[in-house]
Amino acid sequence: MLPIFCDYGLYGGMKVAEAIVVQGLKKVYKGHLGDSVAAVDDLNFQVNQGEIFGFIGPNGAGKTTTIKMLLGLLFPSSGKLTVLGKPAGDIEAKKRISYLPESPYFYEHMTGVEVLDFYCKLFKLNAEARKRKIGELLEQVGLTKDGNRALRQYSKGMLQRIGIAQALINDPDLLIFDEPTSGLDPIAHKDIQDLIRSLKEQGKTVFVSSHQLSDIESVCNRVAIINRGKLVKLGTMEELLHIGRTVITISGSQDDLAEQVKPIAERVSVEGDLMRIYVDTEEKVHNVLDTVRGKSCLVSVVPQKQTLEDLFVEIVREGRK
Amino acid sequence: MIIWSIAKATVGDAMRKKVLQIFLVVAIGLIIISLSFSQTLSFSTREGASTDIMLIKSFGLGLMAMAGWLISLVMGVSLIPQEIERRTIYTILSKPVKRYEFIIGKFLGAMLTLALCVACMGIVFIGVVMAKAHGAAVSAASANTGISAAQAGVQKVQIFDINMLWGVVMIYLQFLVLSAVVILFSVFMTPTVNFFMGLGVYIIGVMASMTETMAKSDTMNPVLAGFYKIMHVIIPNFDKFNVTNTLLHPETHIANIAKYTGQVALYGIFYALLMVVLAVIIFEKKEV
Repeated sequence: MLPIFCDYGLYGGMKVAEAIVVQGLKKVYKGHLGDSVAAVDDLNFQVNQGEIFGFIGPNGAGKTTTIKMLLGLLFPSSGKLTVLGKPAGDIEAKKRISYLPESPYFYEHMTGVEVLDFYCKLFKLNAEARKRKIGELLEQVGLTKDGNRALRQYSKGMLQRIGIAQALINDPDLLIFDEPTSGLDPIAHKDIQDLIRSLKEQGKTVFVSSHQLSDIESVCNRVAIINRGKLVKLGTMEELLHIGRTVITISGSQDDLAEQVKPIAERVSVEGDLMRIYVDTEEKVHNVLDTVRGKSCLVSVVPQKQTLEDLFVEIVREGRK
Repeated sequence: MIIWSIAKATVGDAMRKKVLQIFLVVAIGLIIISLSFSQTLSFSTREGASTDIMLIKSFGLGLMAMAGWLISLVMGVSLIPQEIERRTIYTILSKPVKRYEFIIGKFLGAMLTLALCVACMGIVFIGVVMAKAHGAAVSAASANTGISAAQAGVQKVQIFDINMLWGVVMIYLQFLVLSAVVILFSVFMTPTVNFFMGLGVYIIGVMASMTETMAKSDTMNPVLAGFYKIMHVIIPNFDKFNVTNTLLHPETHIANIAKYTGQVALYGIFYALLMVVLAVIIFEKKEV
């Protein structure tokens, strides 16, 4: 099922639809003493159709508040919020989106089949369609054998699978996942990563908020980093994660070579016969290589790519300052 | 389909609440135990038997009323807050479910749960009253006329007192109104505050005749009289649903039971609907 496109913009030189548009979004909570706190402050971003969009930030950054506003569970204090071309919370948009909350909770007295039947009814599926859909979903999430067990007997991983199954009932165009891999074992974790990739192959849009930054880095097309309610960074992995620094390793150097390269390098370390020289720009790489040429034996020149985790930590620490 | 699904899920969830199960089991147990009242009184005279039965009726109706308000309060106060606390509401309201459908579904579920609880207690209560009346009839027949117990058993059909059913229905209507009030409060109050507010509303509602007298009193301070008048108008008149006196003392009979029941039922249903409408209006703007 293809989404009905509404807003078009340019992304990577291609015309793409926007599944989510957030413009000047603000959410202010008022305290009992008249004080107020902006949980989300002037947030601006858009999520294109068919992309996997990572939404990250430290605890209390405003991620869940933003997600709740996308779902119409909370109301913005100001700003514009459209989901699949409709205002957030619109019933027509909800027919085409799905949501997997962090550590999903369901009516524990129900069995896996019953809880899926309950959610299928919320989409007004008839009995025949429900039966067929429930069978397909249980198979898809690997719970066919456990479908008739009460949810209170399910493990956390099994509950997460049921959560995924309920999120796939309506074959959604946009999926919103809040911490989908939180507390899962490595197998379940890998299954969810694979699911997100397969959803991408099917052309679905996935908006995923997670603290598992390696997951975000490996599956997402673009990432937004928020801190204290404000958007700090937004872009593709290539745009956000620069080649941080380069490590030049040499051996058999003369004693005074270290002193010669120190003014150029960020840091120099010597371990036995090996000397490691850390530099942060391409120009400095060439300067160091010119300096050491003929005075030592070059072992390696290794560019070290910044990880999303490095960037995240850097941003959060800067924010605290 | 959506409202009914939410209602069914609410019934399943509520009926598994340990505290509600305990209230129900204890109430039913005590009603059954009331059969043992026969050990303390003799059935040898018609007066003794009727006193026994009246005692059981009084005890049973009082017990059902007490269990009813406890169940209404305990179930109602947590109906919406629990959905938010457990986060089940997120997966429901993120589906194409309108907020009013959710509230009506929860309300309907609460009404069905209450109906199930009152029905369980009511069936046991009527059964106990019938068993006692049957036992009394058999004993009296054997002792006084010498007819066999089997012949006396024919009176069993007459032993069924439809007024008891009426009493049970009135108890249900009373707690339907209380539940509706508590559900309205649960949209914007914490369960603890709601419990005490609900209890307060119930107590004032039970004393409706007193607030009415106060409101009409000539000697009352006009401000206080106005306050009592407002209380009398706003708070449901639970006294209207109390027919225990009529059931226990036939001399205080109501001229037209059907008309009275119809009027009270209409009053209760109208009041409950008003509470639901207010709950829907408030919940439309509530952040979850």
